[in-house]
Amino acid sequence: MNFFSKLTSQNEQLLIKRLIDGDQRAFEQIVSEYQNIMISVARAIVGEAFADEVVQDAWISAIKALPKFEGRSSLKTWLLHIVSNGAKSRVRRENRHSSLDDGWQAVSSEKFDHTGHRYDDVLPWEDATPEAILANEQLQVIIEEKFRQLPAQQRAALTLYDIEGIEMKEICNILDVSASNVRVLLHRARTTLHHCIEQYQENN
Amino acid sequence: MYQCKDVANEVNNYIDGDLPLAKRVGLFFHLLICSCCRNYLQQIRSTISIITVSKPKEDISTDTHALAKKLHAIYKTHDH
Repeated sequence: MNFFSKLTSQNEQLLIKRLIDGDQRAFEQIVSEYQNIMISVARAIVGEAFADEVVQDAWISAIKALPKFEGRSSLKTWLLHIVSNGAKSRVRRENRHSSLDDGWQAVSSEKFDHTGHRYDDVLPWEDATPEAILANEQLQVIIEEKFRQLPAQQRAALTLYDIEGIEMKEICNILDVSASNVRVLLHRARTTLHHCIEQYQENN
Repeated sequence: MYQCKDVANEVNNYIDGDLPLAKRVGLFFHLLICSCCRNYLQQIRSTISIITVSKPKEDISTDTHALAKKLHAIYKTHDH
């Protein structure tokens, strides 16, 4: 089990058994656990307009296939592949394309001189442990707002890699993008959120 | 010779260990002599930790309770 796993494999086995037995609370648990990340993947692939529908269809397919779930991957990965496949089919039908360059602003070149050196000093953040920084509720709100303004592909890459700890190879399969493009998405998302925290630190 | 701008462009690949050796070593030597870039690297590391801990979520409007209820009903009537 890695650091990011929310459900241990033992708990997951138990949850699957309860689902197969038709326990309604298990259905509540699985939906509240995975709806967010499934929406994130669907939005990244098919866009905002069709994501809810794609996720709903994925849930129905997953629930019907549940008794056949063999546990070769985690429940989360299995669900993400189902929603990913549904979203990819929808993309083909709708003939939609999204660009990696949606909403991207690089680190401003004004920060560097003609030789590539920084003009200004970068100072260490005071008390930069995540716990200390996040004790500030205002900053938490700012981070969440900024996250929600990121393009869907960047949000999904960040969610899958930094928050859920899913392996790069798996993310490439789920989002249907190359590893180098996932790296680009991660770089852009982290740089944007860094900039938002940096501004907050400077103003407070 | 690598410069501050190269660190800014490659900092995430440097952290994730996804760089060719020569570039990694070049950036490492720049970081040895440049405190600004060391601080920048540390800030990006902190940013990643903050993201991991704060777990920002998608803005969703789904009624998860209603969805769970619907899925349960579908499961109950589905022929297994």
